[in-house]
Amino acid sequence: MNVVITPAMVGQVIISGLLSGVLYSMVALGLALIFGVMRIINVAHGPLLMLGAYTTFFLHQQLGINPYLSVPISMLVLFGVGVLLERTLVFRVIDAPELSSLLLTFGISIALVNAAQLAFTSDLRSVEYLTGSWVVGAFAFSKPRVIAFVFAAGLTAAAFLFLQYTRLGKAIRATSQSREVAMVCGIDVGAIHRLTFGLASALAAAGGALIAVIVAIQPEMGQIWTFKSFLVIVLGGAGNYPGALLGGMLLGLVEQLASLFLTTQLSEVVAYVLLVLVLLVRPTGLLGGRQT
Amino acid sequence: MKRLGPLAVAVVVVLALAVYPMVGSGYGTRSVLQVFMWIALAGSWNLISGLTGYVSFGHVAFFGAGAYTAGILIAGSGWSWPLAALAGGLAAGLLALGIGVPCLRLKGPYFAIAMLGLNEVLRALVSYFEGLTGGGNGLSLPTLDATVPVYYAMGLTAVGVTVAARLIISSRFGLRLMTIREDEVAAEAMGIPTFRHKLLAFLLSAIGPGIAGALTARDQGYIEPLSVFPLATTITMIVMTLFGGKGTVWGPVLGAAVLFVAQELVWARYPYVHPLLFGAIIVAVVLAMPRGVLGLLQTKYRLPRTI
Repeated sequence: MNVVITPAMVGQVIISGLLSGVLYSMVALGLALIFGVMRIINVAHGPLLMLGAYTTFFLHQQLGINPYLSVPISMLVLFGVGVLLERTLVFRVIDAPELSSLLLTFGISIALVNAAQLAFTSDLRSVEYLTGSWVVGAFAFSKPRVIAFVFAAGLTAAAFLFLQYTRLGKAIRATSQSREVAMVCGIDVGAIHRLTFGLASALAAAGGALIAVIVAIQPEMGQIWTFKSFLVIVLGGAGNYPGALLGGMLLGLVEQLASLFLTTQLSEVVAYVLLVLVLLVRPTGLLGGRQT
Repeated sequence: MKRLGPLAVAVVVVLALAVYPMVGSGYGTRSVLQVFMWIALAGSWNLISGLTGYVSFGHVAFFGAGAYTAGILIAGSGWSWPLAALAGGLAAGLLALGIGVPCLRLKGPYFAIAMLGLNEVLRALVSYFEGLTGGGNGLSLPTLDATVPVYYAMGLTAVGVTVAARLIISSRFGLRLMTIREDEVAAEAMGIPTFRHKLLAFLLSAIGPGIAGALTARDQGYIEPLSVFPLATTITMIVMTLFGGKGTVWGPVLGAAVLFVAQELVWARYPYVHPLLFGAIIVAVVLAMPRGVLGLLQTKYRLPRTI
């Protein structure tokens, strides 16, 4: 390699890293919420994101709806899917051993991906709506990524405000601290579980909708998002919601730096090495989390 | 006499299977070979996930590691395939040690997804190091019709994994693994060196898939990243073990045989819904009979725990 790495390139990489990092944070926040409240790692989180991406794709293709306008619609649709999944299947394994919930959501994940392959075929689809970049000085800002950044930052902030200040948000945090005490305080824990699963699915759907404008989508796109979201919450400390924010940014940066100094092909490998390193040095995540 | 019954059945089955390639059709031999492979894979997954309670979503990584080790040794260095198969098992075992040291510190879901990631990483690495592995173009092995010898080798692997499971389950080591599964903190408090036990179980669970992967590479003569690291293989071994009964000796054997036959008879006609059905089976088994068919029979007919 005789490519000279200039400071401008590093700056560009940092910008790209932060732009995609917030997207990771938002999607991972959904996974963190479910884990915090229900003590379940939802392996179907990525496939739910995939469904969100397809919702936006079809709304755009069939009805000509602006993909950014369809973000709330996708979120609403997937909120419904999430609540339905919780109500019919997931609630049955909340108190079961971890093995059960993992395998159950794994089964759901396989079924969702295959159903999507049957319904939508495995063809790569893309929402062609916005391309190109804004150039500011030496730096280029990819338009769909900047808009995705704005949406993701806004939605993540909204989610935090919701958790912090509303009654329902407080009920969710209370349930995640102690289910029994929450119950004693008169919180309908079952309803909180459904709400949490719905909200988490909606956050995944928002991620999917925004990604659909950036890259081509296909039914198997989800699994890698399950892994990345998981990586993010491990980096930040599981059950630690601000940790998910930090973890997402970090993952975005590391991936982009890896593609600059090594090669894009190996960015997943670098992310994995990062995961293993963090787990070795600080098993509770960077900001500290709960032990499972 | 009571103890001789099952032994006699086992001897008859083993003899029948040993004679089969000489009398059966090529298709039949190949099918039984496949069943052997699934028994070896499901039985190995059962050791770490069913018995020890550490669910691995990336166990096919060891299969792929074995396949590539053998492929490179056979195609590149001209090793004979039985030696290469042992090397495949060894490589998978070493990988398990290297990965196990950091990853087995993770509890439950963390471990499961770290393993899912491992598989993606191995696939990316194999595609990247083209000089050694042929990258996305795959790796062709010299042609050799070895189906029948591979049949015996795979059968031996399946028997080895099952016998190992039988020995482990009734041993002190197996009891400790089950204690870890039920309550790791309690196991630790009782003085069980949990980490060493988990690592050993993980190592043992990687060797079988490594050998099976190496033998499959020899049998098919061609390997590529997508064909030896598919998530579908992990899914299938999980489904087979769950269906038969996780944490039992014969559960994976039963699951592999029944589901393979079902797959050949019914689902081969509807290949597109195959994963959907597997997903549905996982959900149904977890909710309706978490201990699988054998678990159900055990409770109903008071069968011994070591079955």
